[in-house]
Amino acid sequence: MHRSSPPARKLAALVAGVALAVSACGGSGGSAPQAAAGPVELTVSLFGTFGYQETGLFAEYEKQNPGVTIKYDSTQSEDAYWPALQTRLASGKGSSDVQGIEVARIADVVTNQQDLWTDLRDTAAGSAVTGYLPWKEKAATTKEGAVLGLGTDIGPMALCYRSDLLGKAGLPTDPATLAAQTSTWPDYLALGEKFKAAAPAGSAWTDSAGGLYNAIVSGEQKIYYDAAGTLVYADNPAVKQAFDTAAGAGSTGLTAKLEQFVDPGWDAGFGSGTFATIACPSWMIGYIKGKAGDAGAGKWNVTALPGGRGANWGGSYLAIPAASPHKEQAAKLITWLTAPEQQARLFTKVGNFPSTTGGIAQVSATTDPYFADAPIGKIYSAAAQAAPVQILGPDDGVLKKVMTKALLSVEANGVSPADAWNAAQQAAKQQIG
Amino acid sequence: MTVFAPRSHGLLVAGPRTYAALTATALVFLLPFYYLVVAASRPMAEMAQSPPPLTPGPLLFSNVAKALDQQNIGLALVNSLVVAGVITLSTVLLCTLAGYAFAKLRFRGRGPLFALAVGTMMIPPSLGVVPLYSLMVALGLAGSLASVVLPSLVAAFGVFFMRQYLVQALPDELLDAAKVDGATALRTVWSVVLPIARPGMAVLGMLTFMTAWNDFFWPVIALDTTNPTVQVALAALGGGYVPDTGVIMAGTLVGTLPVVVVFLLLGRQIVGGIVAGAVKA
Amino acid sequence: MTLTLSRPEPAVVNGRRARRSRLHAFEARSAPYVYIAPFFLLFAAFGLFPLIDTAWISLHRYRLGSSMSFIGLDNYAWLFTNPAFYNALLKTFTIGVLSTVPQLLLALGLAHLLNHRMRGRTFFRVAMLMPYATSVAAATLVFAQLFSRDAGLINWLLGVVGVNPVDWRNGSWAAQIAISSIIIWRWTGYNALIYLAGMQSISQDLYEAAALDGANAWQQFRHVTLPGLRPTILFTIVVSTIGASQVFGEPLIFGGGAAEGGALGQYQTLGLFLYQQGWQIGQLGRAAAVAWVMFLMIVVLVLVNSALARRRERAA
Repeated sequence: MHRSSPPARKLAALVAGVALAVSACGGSGGSAPQAAAGPVELTVSLFGTFGYQETGLFAEYEKQNPGVTIKYDSTQSEDAYWPALQTRLASGKGSSDVQGIEVARIADVVTNQQDLWTDLRDTAAGSAVTGYLPWKEKAATTKEGAVLGLGTDIGPMALCYRSDLLGKAGLPTDPATLAAQTSTWPDYLALGEKFKAAAPAGSAWTDSAGGLYNAIVSGEQKIYYDAAGTLVYADNPAVKQAFDTAAGAGSTGLTAKLEQFVDPGWDAGFGSGTFATIACPSWMIGYIKGKAGDAGAGKWNVTALPGGRGANWGGSYLAIPAASPHKEQAAKLITWLTAPEQQARLFTKVGNFPSTTGGIAQVSATTDPYFADAPIGKIYSAAAQAAPVQILGPDDGVLKKVMTKALLSVEANGVSPADAWNAAQQAAKQQIG
Repeated sequence: MTVFAPRSHGLLVAGPRTYAALTATALVFLLPFYYLVVAASRPMAEMAQSPPPLTPGPLLFSNVAKALDQQNIGLALVNSLVVAGVITLSTVLLCTLAGYAFAKLRFRGRGPLFALAVGTMMIPPSLGVVPLYSLMVALGLAGSLASVVLPSLVAAFGVFFMRQYLVQALPDELLDAAKVDGATALRTVWSVVLPIARPGMAVLGMLTFMTAWNDFFWPVIALDTTNPTVQVALAALGGGYVPDTGVIMAGTLVGTLPVVVVFLLLGRQIVGGIVAGAVKA
Repeated sequence: MTLTLSRPEPAVVNGRRARRSRLHAFEARSAPYVYIAPFFLLFAAFGLFPLIDTAWISLHRYRLGSSMSFIGLDNYAWLFTNPAFYNALLKTFTIGVLSTVPQLLLALGLAHLLNHRMRGRTFFRVAMLMPYATSVAAATLVFAQLFSRDAGLINWLLGVVGVNPVDWRNGSWAAQIAISSIIIWRWTGYNALIYLAGMQSISQDLYEAAALDGANAWQQFRHVTLPGLRPTILFTIVVSTIGASQVFGEPLIFGGGAAEGGALGQYQTLGLFLYQQGWQIGQLGRAAAVAWVMFLMIVVLVLVNSALARRRERAA
């Protein structure tokens, strides 16, 4: 700890200069040199929802392919996973051979990050692209036709409801009858008014205005962007109508005012019956079982989502960064992981719904005893097939958050729907424009 | 309420009111921690009930086992110990030296340099992350423990703290006496300054260790779960679309225990007047 | 006065002593710079460089994952015409005051209590630091439960006293109070420990002298303890002010990981606003601008703080 040596100072300055140059360059594209054949270690980095480790798929692949070792790491929260991945991609170093990409990010990837990812058509994964639902792979395809990700699961939406609470309010509890009476969103809300009049205290019709909005708008083809990639959220009548419907429900007390996923009251609500219905994507089946526990078995049931157009919420992709030195091996791995058989197994084990037509066919007969033996395989297949080819955009996630927050202010803070809409427009412009 | 008790042998002696106040405060401080234990030992669905249970349940060991299985918490504990330990040693030593210099030594530029040092505390931590990561990549350190250790080897907080402490605890007379005795600057530090600074160093050490242990934002970016610190490993716990809060709480418990142990070791340093007798009017 | 016979010294011994005293003098003069050098060097490499790079980034439009494009001061123009920024400024101030003032007062009282001779001292001191040992995430999760509208313990207690349940998450002042209480819970023990260390270095002689002068316990506290703690108190005020202006962990997790700070930004502090821009929306250029504005603001705050403190000292 004696006086600083001039060489140390110079080194620090040199390093600082280099790092400045590196960071100022932004993403460095180009593909990495490929390693020679032989034993290979593939690094796989995912976030919490894939289920490959839990289902033992990595171990099985290693057994089937001697010479391949899989080094897997996972971060539960995608919100923490994505910035870390972006930082690594920006610096050109540190990303893995296989990275997971969530559907909310895929539009950003195909619009802005083509140089950073591998076009899977040139790899062993190319043949798998045709086995998917049309809208799934379209989202991962760039304008020039490059396919940057292979789909893993999807989140087709249905309506989950508490048959005991509906029964207490004198409403139909049989799925078919209920579906008939809620075939459109206005019908669904009218039934909600009937529920409100006769419901047990402390039970609202649905969980949140934001959730309702999300369900309605997910059945649309054009939401925040049009096919040319222009932002249209301000003028799209579908968006305004969904907002108005949800805001109406929020201001007339049809919702439990619970913020999805972040309010501990929402988690508790599945068991305590704070809300009677909720638009549930397939992955929420497992969520409900976990949060409501054994006490909830048999109280929940599933029927088709109102609106009749099918809808999707969630789902992910597996992709290979351009910087990976093992592209072919990685491509073989992701092809196997997303093959119909494996997708079907994942559905049985962890509840992720298949995105390949073959996988969907394999699970269509599944029923769930917790949900009163509801034919969830059939319900979700129908929703998946009917879902529109959505136009996705890079800032979809931001806009959805803006809308959800505005709706929360209507239900919880007494803001008028008109004011909330204007506030949402302003916030959107501030954040994106 | 007066808690000013009669003094005996120079130190206040605690009366019943003091004990009562302290016990009440300790309960408030410990209650959420106890709740953590409850949450770690019950199934997720039970915690979502209203009102939630108030006593521990049976699942503590199985949740801990699941947490250890999901993430490499053993390695994470070792890594965190190394990282926090190195940071603590380095910070305490370097900040004591710098704090002493600013507190008692006269040199040109002392005022502005100290202001600059304090000023560095005002930099919001979450933004320097991107350039810092590029720097680590350039140095070839991304993903290694060094990338987490290096930026924290000194802390402006530590310099500021030791300076304030020594301004007050280190009488000029002692330093003058040392100078008259012909001691070199280094010798003065070793035999006069460090013994007096020890309680302050112990406090700084404890606080630094904990801050380093709980540091989350930068390690999550710089490291990944193959070579994690405890916070990185905990952030990755959960599994599936339905994160099991019981497992997360159990993992958090395991990750917090070592810090408690460190307190118990260093806490004794602060207890019982080390300073008694060392400082004269 | 003694008369000493001067003996002629051999030239070599004279030279060596002169050299040694020159060496001593040089060592004494260079010591301060040597002691503070490690701090500034490490800061230059790992603190200054990112800081300057951040200033550079703030002049660009930069989304993480794409390339930078220079846009001059546009980010700052966007910031100063953004009502969300002024909201964040206000919330930072209110939450800062709500959390810092009670915290420091409580910490002072707690430190005094702990400065007694008593049994179980280690237990109490450990208990005091436990909140800080529990990570922000775990603590805030627990508090989010406690402040839950339908099933939380706090609303239940309020109900016992006959008060209507408060919507802590969505209310404006309610949410700020809830978050401030989390911060107070976490940091009081931390500051109490710092005060305690300061208190223990106050000489006992001062207390004895005051007692001899007839001062009672409260007067001793006011006239011996507090003045003796002045550098420590000033230190905690500056550090707490800086900390309060950067608060972002607690509101982030109270909001469940969402950085909006409530549907109407009820509890979005500047730190959270920065985090939202940089890591949620992905606009790093704007986040850099926010960071620099925050930095300059804090500098001004601290300078004002120290000027006031100096004026108070001169007046005293």
